[in-house]
Amino acid sequence: MAASVPPWSAGPGVARAPELPVLWAGALAGCAAAAVSVQLALASDHVAEPGLQAALLDWITLPYVLAGLVAWWRRPDSRFGPLMVTAGFVMFLSSLQWANAPAPSTLGLAFDLLPVAVFVHLFLAFPDGRLTSRPARVVVGAGYAAAVGLQFVKMLLGVGGPDNLLAAVAEPAAADIVQDVQLITLAALALTGILLLAVRRRRFGRPLRRSISLLVDSFALGLVMIAALMLAGAFELPAFETIRRVTFGVIGVAPVAFLIGLMDARLARSGVGVLFVELQADPPPGALRDALARALRDESLTLAYWLPEFERWADLDGRPVELPAPDSGRATTLIDLNGAHVAALLHHRSLDDERELLDAVSAAAGMALENGRLHAELKARLEELRGSRSRVIEAGQKERQRLERNLHDGAQQRLVALSLDLRLLEARLSGDPDARAGLDQARQEIALSLEELRAVARGIHPAVVTGHGLAVAVESLAARAPVPVRLTVAVDGRLPERLEVAAYYVICESLANIGKHAHATSATVDIARKKGDLVVEIVDDGIGGADSERGTGLRGLADRVEGLGGRLRVWTPRGGGTRVRAEMPCD
Amino acid sequence: MRLAIAEDSVLLREGVARLLGDAGFDVVAQCGTAEELLLKANSYEIDVAIVDIRLPPTHNDEGLRAALEIRANHPDVGVLVLSQYVEVGLAMKLLADSAEGVGYLLKDRISDVEQFVAAVRRVAAGGSALDPIIVSTLLARRRDDDPLAALTPREHDVLELMATGSSNQGIADALVITLRAVEKYVSSIFGKLGLPSTGSESRRVLAVLMFLRS
Repeated sequence: MAASVPPWSAGPGVARAPELPVLWAGALAGCAAAAVSVQLALASDHVAEPGLQAALLDWITLPYVLAGLVAWWRRPDSRFGPLMVTAGFVMFLSSLQWANAPAPSTLGLAFDLLPVAVFVHLFLAFPDGRLTSRPARVVVGAGYAAAVGLQFVKMLLGVGGPDNLLAAVAEPAAADIVQDVQLITLAALALTGILLLAVRRRRFGRPLRRSISLLVDSFALGLVMIAALMLAGAFELPAFETIRRVTFGVIGVAPVAFLIGLMDARLARSGVGVLFVELQADPPPGALRDALARALRDESLTLAYWLPEFERWADLDGRPVELPAPDSGRATTLIDLNGAHVAALLHHRSLDDERELLDAVSAAAGMALENGRLHAELKARLEELRGSRSRVIEAGQKERQRLERNLHDGAQQRLVALSLDLRLLEARLSGDPDARAGLDQARQEIALSLEELRAVARGIHPAVVTGHGLAVAVESLAARAPVPVRLTVAVDGRLPERLEVAAYYVICESLANIGKHAHATSATVDIARKKGDLVVEIVDDGIGGADSERGTGLRGLADRVEGLGGRLRVWTPRGGGTRVRAEMPCD
Repeated sequence: MRLAIAEDSVLLREGVARLLGDAGFDVVAQCGTAEELLLKANSYEIDVAIVDIRLPPTHNDEGLRAALEIRANHPDVGVLVLSQYVEVGLAMKLLADSAEGVGYLLKDRISDVEQFVAAVRRVAAGGSALDPIIVSTLLARRRDDDPLAALTPREHDVLELMATGSSNQGIADALVITLRAVEKYVSSIFGKLGLPSTGSESRRVLAVLMFLRS
C-alpha cells in the first residue's frame, strides 16, 4: 500500500529534499552568523547594552535559520523553509551596523529595516512560501520598496552620521521626514497584513489544526508588534526600546510555534487510530467517506473509485467523476494497491501540507476502499446493462416506427389512390351495370384492406402518440375501453417520446386485460407528473387475483418500463380489483 | 369555390384535385408541405383548405398545426383535415371551441366521391364534417347510467348523423324521412339528453360531441 502524489497536487514540480551536508552547512553558517553578531555587539563603540542587544538579535536569527532548515528538510516542495532561513540571515545582516568600520556599518544600516519587510513577507507566505493573492503581493512589494528604497534615500540625505559612506548631503530635517513616512508606511502594511491573514483564515474552508491556528495567531501578533514598533519609532515614543524588545521576543516565538505545528502533523496521526477502530466495525461503503472526512478533518472530502474496465473514475454509485483540475483549489491523493489504482481522495488543498496524515489515512483505509471500489464497479456495470437494455428497446421502437411510416406512406396511400381511381373509372362506365358492380365490390375490398392495415399499423407503432402526444392518444383508448373509464391527465405538454409510447402501451394493455379478465364495471386511468416521474395508474373494480396468463403481457410491459429506468407494480388482491402503476423518470 | 390542397403524396394529391375539379371546384393551390399551404392560404383567397394531417418534414403533426393556424388566422376559411387514422382526441383538439367550417375525415372517404364533395361544400359553407368512426366510437363508449339508452333506435340514427355534421336536410335524405320528422327527432333527443337546443347546425355538433365525450 502506498499513497502516491500526482505531480500537480503539490504545486508545479516536486522538489527534492536538500542533501544533509547542505543542511548542516546552513546550520553551521547560522551559528557562525550568531557568533559574529555577538562579537560585533561586544566590540562596538556605539551600542548600549551590547549583550542584551546581541541576545535579542540572535533570539531571532538562530531559531529562524534552524527551524527553516528543518522545514526545508521535511517539506522540500514548500518555499517556506528557505524563506525562514533567509529571514534569519537578513536579521543577522542588520547587525552589521554595530561594526566600528564604516564599510560593514554602512551595509548594516542599509539593511536596518529589511527584516521588517521579510517578516511581513514570511507571515503572508504561510504555508507554502508563496504569495497566492494579489493584495498579499502588493503589500509585500510595497514593504520591500519602503524598507530598502526609502532607506537608501535616507542614507543619501546623511542619516547615520560619519559612518554612512553613502551620505551625499547632510539634511537631517529631510531625512527625518523620509524616516517618518517609511515607518508609518511599514506600520500600515503590517496592519494590512493582519487583515489579509484574517480573510485567508475565513476562506480556508476547513477547520485549522490547533497548532496551525496557534501559528497563524503568532504571525498576527508579530505583525501587530511590528506595526506598534514602527509607530513608536515614527512618533519617538519614550517606550520605544521596551516595545522593541517585546517585538523581538514575539517574532522569535513564531519558529517555535512552527516547529510545534510540524511535530503535531505527526501527532495528528493519532486520529488515524480512531479511524482504524471505525474500520474494524466494517462500515458500509457509504459511511466510509464520513469516517475518512473525520480523520482528515475535511468535510469537503469526496472519494472517487477507479474502474479499470471502464477506464474512468466513478463515485460510489458508479457515476462518472472527473478528477479536479490542477488549478481548481482541490487536490487529489491517489491510493494504489499492488500497483493498480483503487481510489482517489479529492480533498482540500491545505491537506497537502499534512502529507503524513494523508499517507496514514490512505494506508488505514486501503482494504475498505477496495470494497467501495468493487461496489462502484458493480453499480457501473448495472448502469451499463440498464443502458444497453434501454438501447435495445429504443432500437426496436425506432424500427417499428420506420415500418409504420413505410406502411403509411406506401401501401395505405396507394390503396386510397387506387380506390379513388376505381371510383373515377366507375363514373365513366355508365352503361355497364355488371362492370360497375364489380368495381364497387373491388372498392369495398380495398376499404376492408385499409381497415385491416390500419389495425396492423397501429399494432406496430401508435403513430398518434408520436405525432400528437399521450394525452390525445389515450382519449381514444378510454373511449374504446370495455368498461366506463374515468380519465385524468395531469401532464402539460409533450414528454420524451419513449416515455409516452411506454405509458401508452401500459394503459392499452391494462385496459385490454380489464376487458379479458377483470369482470370490472368501471376503471380509472390517471396520468400525472410527480417529482420528475411520469406516473401512470390504471385501477379497476374487478375480481383481482390476476393469474399468470395475464402476467406475460405485464412482464413485457415491466421490461419496457424498467428499460427506461422506471418500475411497474401490480396489486391484485383476490376480490379487490387490480391496480397497475408505472413510474418512469422524465429526464 | 376556391380550394387549396396540402398532401405530400403526389399521386393522391393529383387524384383529389382532379376529383374536386370535376365536381366544379376551383383548385387554386396544390401544396406538398404545411409551410407552402400556410403561405398560399395567406396570399390566395381560398374558401377551404384540405390538409393531410401528416406532412413533411417530420410527418408528425405539421398538418394539424397548419390547420389550427389557418382556423385561428382566417376564421372564414374552412379546414378539412384528412388522415389515415382518426382519433377522438384530435377531433376535440381541432374543434376546440367551435365546429364551424371544420372537417376531420378518414382518407378512405375520398373515394366515396358524392359524400366527400358534400363534406367539402358543408365545410365551405361554415358547417362541419366529422368522420363516422369518431362518432360511433363516442356513441359506443361505455357509460354508467347510459343516457343514450333512453333513445329510440331511430333517434340513435339521427343523433349519429347529427354528430357527423349533417344538416337536417341531409339527415332527412339519408334516412328517407321528412324534414319535419327530423326536427321532431332532434328536439326529442335534446330533451332526453338534457341539452339546451342551439340554433346553428355546427353549434349542435359541438354540443353533442362534448356530451358524448364526457
